Amino acid sequence: MSIRRISQRAKDEKTRKLLSRIIRVDQAGELGADRIYAGQIAVLGNTPVGPIIQEMKEQEQEHLETFNKLIVEKRVRPTALLPLWNIAGFALGAGTALLGKEGAMACTVAVESVIGEHYNSQIRDLMEDDPEKHKELIKKLSKFRDDELHHHDTGLEHDAEKAPMYDALSQVIKVGCIGAIWLSERI
Amino acid sequence: MSTSTGDRNPPQDTSSGPGGSASSQTSNGGYNTQRTGQGAQYSDELDNSEDLVSEVEEEEMPEETEEEYQTKQAVLKASLPFVHQYGWTKKAIVAGAESLGMPSMVHGMFPRGGAELVFYFYEESNKELESFLKQKVTELKEKDEKIKTGPFIHDAIETRLRMIIPYIDKWPQAMAIQTLPQNAVQSWTNLSRVVDDIWFYAGDKSNDFNWYTKRGSLAAVYKSTEIYLIQDRSEDYTDTWNFLENRLEDVVSAGHLARNLQETNTVLSEGAKGFCVMTRNLLGMNNR
Repeated sequence: MSIRRISQRAKDEKTRKLLSRIIRVDQAGELGADRIYAGQIAVLGNTPVGPIIQEMKEQEQEHLETFNKLIVEKRVRPTALLPLWNIAGFALGAGTALLGKEGAMACTVAVESVIGEHYNSQIRDLMEDDPEKHKELIKKLSKFRDDELHHHDTGLEHDAEKAPMYDALSQVIKVGCIGAIWLSERI
Repeated sequence: MSTSTGDRNPPQDTSSGPGGSASSQTSNGGYNTQRTGQGAQYSDELDNSEDLVSEVEEEEMPEETEEEYQTKQAVLKASLPFVHQYGWTKKAIVAGAESLGMPSMVHGMFPRGGAELVFYFYEESNKELESFLKQKVTELKEKDEKIKTGPFIHDAIETRLRMIIPYIDKWPQAMAIQTLPQNAVQSWTNLSRVVDDIWFYAGDKSNDFNWYTKRGSLAAVYKSTEIYLIQDRSEDYTDTWNFLENRLEDVVSAGHLARNLQETNTVLSEGAKGFCVMTRNLLGMNNR
């Protein structure tokens, strides 16, 4: 009885595909988050909550720059839907901000909770594949996940749950994010 | 057969073909009893490979062992010289196998027939192109020169297309095979590989939608030049290289045009805004 083992070539191919997928969707996600905050600032920039959103936006910008560099370094194809997420993110940010500061915070909470879970599952996938080889990336993703969860908590602190139709709004946004993640992993 | 592994088997079986799947069934049969039976000492390794297998949901996984892969490569390599005689077909593969002393039934390892030979040749040429590009970049780095994108890309495409010339008598058949629907995806992947390699070694650092426009335009240039090449009768195909140069210039000027259009658009919209403001002032509406 011979044991079929996956060839090294095929294993490398799988790792490459996994990395590609992760970096591609993370770049798209950070761009989306950056644009959401930009939309919120466009509406709420002059209110007391403006500086808080601005700070969160700057952190997302940092994340985005990291992934932009990784895309070039690891030769990953960026998602073809980038222009779409650019527009959709801004629209979502501005739209929820029009519901008031609570609406904007609710949007932040919903998005950041999906992103936090998403980073966690990516970290798990990387550890499963090869914890040594991906050590750098796992460290970066862990830090970003912590930042995103911090944003999530900031959102809750600023009365996210008082937003109109909080539950429904939150659900819709979460489903939208999950759909966007699924698409960007593939397209 | 344990049902948990049964779910994962079907995608792999279809991709390895009749010869491959026959062996995969027996060894998977053995693998299954190992797992559910006493094969405790092997189950760890197999556990790992199973997890690797389970990661890929929608994509087909190449379930060939290293030796299967090497055998196939050897047969295809030996079949290339027979292309002039038999074209890119199963006959050529059989002739190649027989020249290595293998039975003609080996063609069962190649379910896509002649297309496999075309893809093998394409992939080998791509590898050759990649080492050429790597070498060129190292040379330029040693001389401390900057890469001039235009000439670099021209040389890259010329080098890659010249690899077709030895088989140019049968290349139209290869191109036709590549346009068949069942081969379209692989052909597209091969072409993307060419343009991605060329842009990467030319120093492309784009990480947004430009990534796509650059590669799309280069793919169009490559394809059109390839088509020109197969009907070119000039000495050393100089007409083709001139055609290539013209196509590359077209792309550059299209880029300039896009930028001009954007600037024109800005100028025009600023002009329109100014006109609106002037109209409002004239109508005395400027104190709203």
